[in-house]
Amino acid sequence: MALPDELNCIQNSLTGDHEAYATLVKEYQKMVYAVAWRMTGSLEDAEDLTQETFLRAFRQLESFRSESKFSTWLCRIAINLSLTWRDRERRRGAVHTQWAEDSITDGEGSGKHSDPLSRRVQGALDKLPAKQRAAIVLTVYEERSHAEAAKILNCTEATVSWRVFAARRKLKRLLKGVSRE
Amino acid sequence: MNDSDLTSLLKKARMPQPPDELWEELPGRVTQQLNRARHENIQPMRTSLPRWAWAMATALCVVLAFIAGHWHGQHAAEDTLASAKVVRETLAMFPNRVRAIVQDEHGLSLVLSENNDVPSSSPLYVHVCSGKQCGSVVTFSGQEIQVAGQKMTVLADGHDGVILVGNDFAWSSRDPAMAKNNLKIETKNLDIGKM
Repeated sequence: MALPDELNCIQNSLTGDHEAYATLVKEYQKMVYAVAWRMTGSLEDAEDLTQETFLRAFRQLESFRSESKFSTWLCRIAINLSLTWRDRERRRGAVHTQWAEDSITDGEGSGKHSDPLSRRVQGALDKLPAKQRAAIVLTVYEERSHAEAAKILNCTEATVSWRVFAARRKLKRLLKGVSRE
Repeated sequence: MNDSDLTSLLKKARMPQPPDELWEELPGRVTQQLNRARHENIQPMRTSLPRWAWAMATALCVVLAFIAGHWHGQHAAEDTLASAKVVRETLAMFPNRVRAIVQDEHGLSLVLSENNDVPSSSPLYVHVCSGKQCGSVVTFSGQEIQVAGQKMTVLADGHDGVILVGNDFAWSSRDPAMAKNNLKIETKNLDIGKM
């Protein structure tokens, strides 16, 4: 359930108080950004998707039901936008396969952003089908239960469990031999 | 590698941190966009089209307004789209490019495809009221539209009937009672070839 202060912000946002909405943005921007980054592997796209998530959420704010958590509802929008992004990028032939290939062969760090282990893990995540990737992002990184993830992904809990199982199997294969140190 | 090891490995992968300025700027950027949208009264776009297509659509609105005015004596404003003649004339101007003709509280507008890739099929008339918000659309089977604040995919059922599939509702002209969210829906297969 949405927190009382949060509900006040939402109610005020619905009456056109953009500063109240800015409070919600500040509260959840890091969560949304993390989801977007894990889904896209791109800092620039994660930033764009984060902004787009909040804009879309504002447009759809009337449809938010206070029985559920605002973060869950927001996550759903972020995941849906990320999935649409991936479809669009695939059509352009610009999914970050080159980045993923570089991350597997490149033994050096990428400067300020990530170490080789992180790049390799993200490269493996990038090779997952979009919906399996979303299931892993939600259950591992966002630590959502399968039931919550199912609400976000608009599917059954059994489907989430299957996607997590399939994703883990593929990730184990891709990350075989990666040092855990 | 077992599941627990994999989870541990996945969590060890750090996310690159964006500059701190992003967290300070992002809320402001969002509210700036919202303020701009409110000031310009920008409506959510129904499709993603290049600017020139919108310019053409705007020009066509003028034409459609003339056509609507021409038929005013014979049809009430809200029935403009139910007129097969209006639809036929509009489609003839943009063969295989019209995704939808929309009539709502803002008047008539046209949604065009970038290419001539809209399949030829019978136009489908859809009128939706959600509370006090009403709108009409003429579109084709398979197109996704937004009317009266509701996003939905419109399908012909092959027997002159229409099916609407939204995010949280489904409706069929053969079973009008299906929609559960207080939407009032009216549809018609215009089948302008027969007119």
